[in-house]
Amino acid sequence: MSSEALFSVRDLSFSYGSRKVLQVPGLDIRTGEVLALVGPNGSGKTTLLKILNDLLRADSGSVLFKGRPSAGNPRLRSGSVYVHQSPFPLAGTVHRNIAFGLRARRLPDSEIRLRTREALERLGLAGFGRRDAKRLSGGETQRVALARALVLDPEVLLLDEPTAQADRASAERIREVLADIAARGRTTIVFSSHDAAFAEALADRAAYLEDGRLVRIDPGRRGRAPKAEDTARGNPE
Amino acid sequence: MNPFLGSLELIFSGDREVFQVAATTLRFSFWSTAFSTIPGLILGIALSGHRFPGRRTVAAVVSSLTALPTVVIGLAVYSFISRSGPLGHLGWLFAPAGVILGQTLLALPIVVSLVYTGLSKLDARFAETLITLGAGRFRRLTATLFEAKYVLASAVLNAFGRVTGEVGVSMMLGGNIRWYTRTMTTTIALDTSKGEFERALSLGILLLGISLTVNALVHAAVKHEQ
Repeated sequence: MSSEALFSVRDLSFSYGSRKVLQVPGLDIRTGEVLALVGPNGSGKTTLLKILNDLLRADSGSVLFKGRPSAGNPRLRSGSVYVHQSPFPLAGTVHRNIAFGLRARRLPDSEIRLRTREALERLGLAGFGRRDAKRLSGGETQRVALARALVLDPEVLLLDEPTAQADRASAERIREVLADIAARGRTTIVFSSHDAAFAEALADRAAYLEDGRLVRIDPGRRGRAPKAEDTARGNPE
Repeated sequence: MNPFLGSLELIFSGDREVFQVAATTLRFSFWSTAFSTIPGLILGIALSGHRFPGRRTVAAVVSSLTALPTVVIGLAVYSFISRSGPLGHLGWLFAPAGVILGQTLLALPIVVSLVYTGLSKLDARFAETLITLGAGRFRRLTATLFEAKYVLASAVLNAFGRVTGEVGVSMMLGGNIRWYTRTMTTTIALDTSKGEFERALSLGILLLGISLTVNALVHAAVKHEQ
């Protein structure tokens, strides 16, 4: 394992019933890195993201977060957020949605109000606070979900097809926000996309998956040299 | 006088006995629904949120209990609270407490079953969203109750509707004692057997009104959920 790896994945295998949907011999993700998971539908991108967030547990192999197993790891739970491809808006207002994670962390009301307002403005949702979260468009819901995650200022952002449900304007806004976060370099971003051009433009590295197998890792086009040694065993790169 | 017009006159003249019976019915129904709601919610949430061997069987048994004949529940409770029964010393037989106990047992599986069914239908992304946002067990519970509030309201209203319209438990455990345990359904049964259709009809109209109101509320709750 690289000493600087935030996540270290080894010999990972995951099946739904008898169907093996993911096999990753090895993958290290460094702090501050932007890693894209690229592949067609059913290639295992979502499964890998959920395993990284401990929403799914691998059948075999190991996933370490900061050198410790990710399963039941409180530092992973408090420091990482996963955003669904088609996010689930919680009942109630947009404000309640965005404040939810802050309330779970028992922050003071004044700070919750401040951070929620900032998150709304950042995602172009100023004035949406009192709207019913269940009655938003796909793009608005995606932006609310991203705001709901960003407001927590997470160490790790795990995004499943972050612009898939968004209209052009929302997608552009999301790209800008992600590029801004990536430029600051404080947050590690792992996102999935079936759009290789979009993925490579935003990412430091792009990991390609096919039929649940990690087939290669290419450097992205962010103008940065790859931060992590590619540790995918058998990687043709 | 036409029995229907006579029944309307009883209602609009504010007949004391008609409204006392209606009030007794609502009082019994309110308390039995209230007493079944808390354990019903807890059991329904536990059943939907915990995976254990035989869970589906338990859910099927609970679902079957919702169709239990009221006289069977009445008979079972009777055996416990009659003078010779283990709870006979409480003096609940032919008293409001006995009726409320029986109706609580009637309502409980309805609440459990509907809560379980409603929560089981919640989107899998909901639970994942709560977890990934860092919600602990208590916050996940309160968020689930809030998310499914219309399902829960529907469960409680269904239980209320069931106990309001039942006759077996009230008759067997309440004894249909005038000014004490007489409910709308037991009064309707008694008056009809005596040929006193006007009061039976007036109570029938009131019962229908209550039933329609409860069903409208259930419908509104379910529609809002969708």
